[in-house]
Amino acid sequence: MSMDISLIKRGNDAELKLDGYIDASNAADVEKILVDVASKYENLTLDMEKLEYVSSAGLRAFKRVYMELRKGGGKLSARNVDKSIMEILEVTGFTRLFKFI
Amino acid sequence: MESLTVTAVVENLDEVIAFVAKRLENYGCERKTLMQIRLAVEEIFVNISSYAYDPSVGPAEVRCEVLEDPMRVIIQFLDGGKPFDPLAKEDADTSEEALMSRIGGLGILLVKETMDDVSYEYKDGQNILTILKNL
Repeated sequence: MSMDISLIKRGNDAELKLDGYIDASNAADVEKILVDVASKYENLTLDMEKLEYVSSAGLRAFKRVYMELRKGGGKLSARNVDKSIMEILEVTGFTRLFKFI
Repeated sequence: MESLTVTAVVENLDEVIAFVAKRLENYGCERKTLMQIRLAVEEIFVNISSYAYDPSVGPAEVRCEVLEDPMRVIIQFLDGGKPFDPLAKEDADTSEEALMSRIGGLGILLVKETMDDVSYEYKDGQNILTILKNL
């Protein structure tokens, strides 16, 4: 399964559009990219409009991104979160990681 | 029940997902239902791959059957690894503190939350985890 990620820069902040699937097969690669971006910007927004699927492996990647941003006092935001993805975030308590905009 | 046996390693996840998806393709299932089933299958198969035979590897069998009246799918996961009842553990703590320190336990929580029934038995040297989802 695949994931396309595109980056939009806004000064010190960045937005990443996630398109596709994050599962156990690609979560490590996705995490590496996300954490790398998080380390270079102050705040990060994840646009989840085209995120079709996320499993616990993907949630763990989100957690590492959150921790990376927190080191520099930055915030992790999410937008366009699909209802079924939101349910997964809610059930696991992972809504706490994000500011929903 | 149709059955697929693979070596329990994450590299075989796509094959397992495809096997289950194929059994469900002609029933007009909702996208969300299919996503939840895929999620449960991934979480269970990845758990077996990570822990059942650790540090060695071994086989996992996946059985899948769609039943009618009411329409539902039953999926069974069988492995010959260490006896382990994933349902015996308490649900993962979802408090903020736990969220930051925890590593595991999320997968089975997602399975329980998205499936209509989950059961475990250890029989003839095999862990058998059975999930049911109404379609």
